Amino acid sequence: MELAWYALLGLFFAGYLVLGGYDYGVGLLLARSADADRRRAALNAVGPFFLGNEVWLVAAVGILFGAFPVLEGELLAGCYPAVVGALTGVILVTVGVQLRSRPDSRWARAGWDRVIVVGSLLAALGWGIVLAALLQGVPLRADGHVAGVTHLFTPFAAAAGLAVVTLVAAHGAAFLTLRMPAAEGDRLRPLARRLVVAALAAITAATVVGLFSDRVRAAAQRPVVGVLLAVLLVAALLAAWTALGRGRAGVAFAATATALALPVVLVGATLWPYVLVSTVEPGASLTVADAAASAPTLRLLGWLALPLLPALLGFQAMCWWIFRGRTDGRAPVYW
Amino acid sequence: MDTLLLARLQFAASASVHFLFVAVTLGLVTLLVGLQTAWVVTGNPRYERLTRFWGQLYVINYVLGIATGIVMEFQFGLNWSGLSRYVGNVFGAPLAIETLVAFFLESTFLGMWIFGWHRLRRGVHLALLYGVALTAYASAFWIMVANSWLQHPVGYEVRDGVAHLTDFSALLTNPALWMALGHVVSAAMLTGGLLMAAVSAWHLSRRTPDHALFRTSLRIGVVTAALAITFVQGFGFAQFGPVGAVQPTKFSTNSPDADALVADWTARFGPGDYLPPVLANVGLGFMILIGFGLGLLWLLLPLLWRDWIIRLRFPLWLLMLALPLPFVALILGWIAREVGRQPWVAYGLLPVDQAVSPISPWLMATSLAGFTLLLGSLAVTNWVLMARHAARGAADPALGRPPTQPPADDTRPEPAFT
Ligand code: HDD
Ligand code: HEM
Ligand code: HEM
Repeated sequence: MELAWYALLGLFFAGYLVLGGYDYGVGLLLARSADADRRRAALNAVGPFFLGNEVWLVAAVGILFGAFPVLEGELLAGCYPAVVGALTGVILVTVGVQLRSRPDSRWARAGWDRVIVVGSLLAALGWGIVLAALLQGVPLRADGHVAGVTHLFTPFAAAAGLAVVTLVAAHGAAFLTLRMPAAEGDRLRPLARRLVVAALAAITAATVVGLFSDRVRAAAQRPVVGVLLAVLLVAALLAAWTALGRGRAGVAFAATATALALPVVLVGATLWPYVLVSTVEPGASLTVADAAASAPTLRLLGWLALPLLPALLGFQAMCWWIFRGRTDGRAPVYW
Repeated sequence: MDTLLLARLQFAASASVHFLFVAVTLGLVTLLVGLQTAWVVTGNPRYERLTRFWGQLYVINYVLGIATGIVMEFQFGLNWSGLSRYVGNVFGAPLAIETLVAFFLESTFLGMWIFGWHRLRRGVHLALLYGVALTAYASAFWIMVANSWLQHPVGYEVRDGVAHLTDFSALLTNPALWMALGHVVSAAMLTGGLLMAAVSAWHLSRRTPDHALFRTSLRIGVVTAALAITFVQGFGFAQFGPVGAVQPTKFSTNSPDADALVADWTARFGPGDYLPPVLANVGLGFMILIGFGLGLLWLLLPLLWRDWIIRLRFPLWLLMLALPLPFVALILGWIAREVGRQPWVAYGLLPVDQAVSPISPWLMATSLAGFTLLLGSLAVTNWVLMARHAARGAADPALGRPPTQPPADDTRPEPAFT
């Protein structure tokens, strides 16, 4: 039962990184387009999916609270600055995208677009640092609380944060080559390839820093699995690079999406059976079972999730299906 | 500086901003369902224009509901980690259900509704709005289940210092729940109705174009608000009984029941100040005053006959002046409810000082200042945008604007996954 809920938590958080990831990627790419119409077209390519994407985060945190209450408190409070940074980013993006077109003046829109860029950067960086914090262990004391927040400021956390930023940018570019009108998509392909190369470099750097970090080595319960998944991540990015070169935008997007889901799998699998590994007090480390809610709560939520999950995924799939295909310039623009 | 105080201030600030927006959401979405249904059933273009105009205001308002809601959700873990540690097994369940049952679908439907004009069949497009409204009510229901549990914990048993769920149905029959839910929902309807009436009144008093359109929404707004205020009063007074019974220290701090309870707590939790600050009940009095004042809305109903309400003009001004009142009452009511249960997070079970995260006060102060500034300025920006759009009138809202280029012969988009 705990394992099923742990997997579900992973599914929703990975889903958020994949779907919210291209929102933030598109957001980051606004920084390089001086042309207001292009920026607007890029945001409307995300258009109907935007609200449904970010809500994966809301659901993931809901599951975290309902099914893993102890983890919820310690993880969020224990990574305070990173979580607050990510949260600020999420808010700036959600408000910026939805309000940017409400004022008429061009400079107001350009201002909101800067807000979106900053928000996207903060969100990607923040979640990257949170994932790194899990992987390098936290100073969990015997009383069950995480001591201080200085544990976040390590080279590995910085490298991982940066890696997620580049991953998200590459993913956003891949999304746009798939979704924008064909001519515009072709124009973006070289940029997307360059971003994939940057992501490859950043991921490799983070992996190397991680392998040299004592804390990461001590926290990893299954280092081999971790390294294998990192290799898989690199392979996914190489696949994206090749697919972009051949003009297969769909395949490239699937590959960058995989690359964004993999870090979540990597963290979960490398630490298993733990979720929070303590760096100061080995006995204080929290296993998945320790962190989970008690059986009656999980059973109740289980009965609820069983019929609900198909409905949730079904309605999201319906949204993707209705609005599939490239934007064509005559679709209603709202963002 | 005191981490606990800062954390409480932060919750109060963000919850208040959240509620100012979601009350409008809940009220307006109900009215929109009516407007769009009328459009689909009658085919009358006036209802389409009304749906687009009020829908645009609704969507702008919605943005801050999401932004502040996300802050609220994270705040439980960030600032109140003791809450999840000691009562997460019980309190977490309704919150998890809320996110899955309500928010997930609500946002998915809303995105499709906004972008689905001129693209989906009318029936499907209308069904999406029904979905948005139903899930909004579901979210209000589940959050009230969670909040009522904090007001009056039920259906649990404490083992090893941690609460475990024993009877989920007790959460749904909580005496602190149903009257409060009715009160909150009717207060939201009152707010939505009065907003609609006041904006329409502004246009009518300025004699802007679209007289017929705003006349219709004025009538809808006034009737909705008048009906709603009666329910607000009814559910409001109905709360004193059940809430007073389960929380003897809330409304009167020196009754025999309250004394007995304080003695019991002192024995179990050690000596301390177990009475809420008096400030809570002052706000309650003002809210009730506003409630009676708004009861006068009924006097406007006869004036709908032959449009006297518009011709006399001063009723229009009264409606505009009354607009801030429900918002003030909303906040006062919540402060009464939440401050009135102090010093407990979960009444009689978990004191606030055990629930707060062991975070340094400086970090907490930074986050309080940061989020208050951020959400405060976003809220003001949002209201300015809403006011501008309200003033601009119904000529051409961006929501539901027909596509600029006429559709070419091939209306199917080319699929991308090939
Ligand atoms: C438009 C807003 C509005 C208006 C006009 C009123 N209320 Fe209210 N009231 C609320 C909006 C509200 C609220 C914000 O929605 C609260 C906060 C928590 C809740 O359940 O509803 C609330 C709480 C609240 C409580 C506290 C419940 C508790 O502590 O658990 C009581 C006793 C009342 N109300 C009673 C009344 C009465 C007798 C009113 C008028 C005759 C009245 N309210 C008007
Ligand atoms: C949206 C309307 C709400 C408003 C305006 C509001 C207001 C407040 C206020 C003023 C406080 C501080 C009380 C004090 O410390 O003296 C508070 C605290 C708190 N509220 Fe609410 N509240 C709202 C809804 C909710 C709901 C629905 C929940 C639960 C699901 C909730 C949970 C809490 C918690 C956990 C605290 C912190 C602990 C405490 O100080 O008691 N609130 N709220
Ligand atoms: C009685 C008090 C509350 C009511 C009636 C209420 C109602 C709503 C409604 C209707 C929405 C939809 C968004 C919108 O309409 O603008 C919403 C959004 C949200 N609320 Fe609340 N809420 C309350 C308190 C809370 C509390 C205490 C939390 C913290 C757990 C919370 C968390 C959220 C979240 C996370 C969202 C965003 C969901 C999304 O992304 O769509 N709400 N709320």
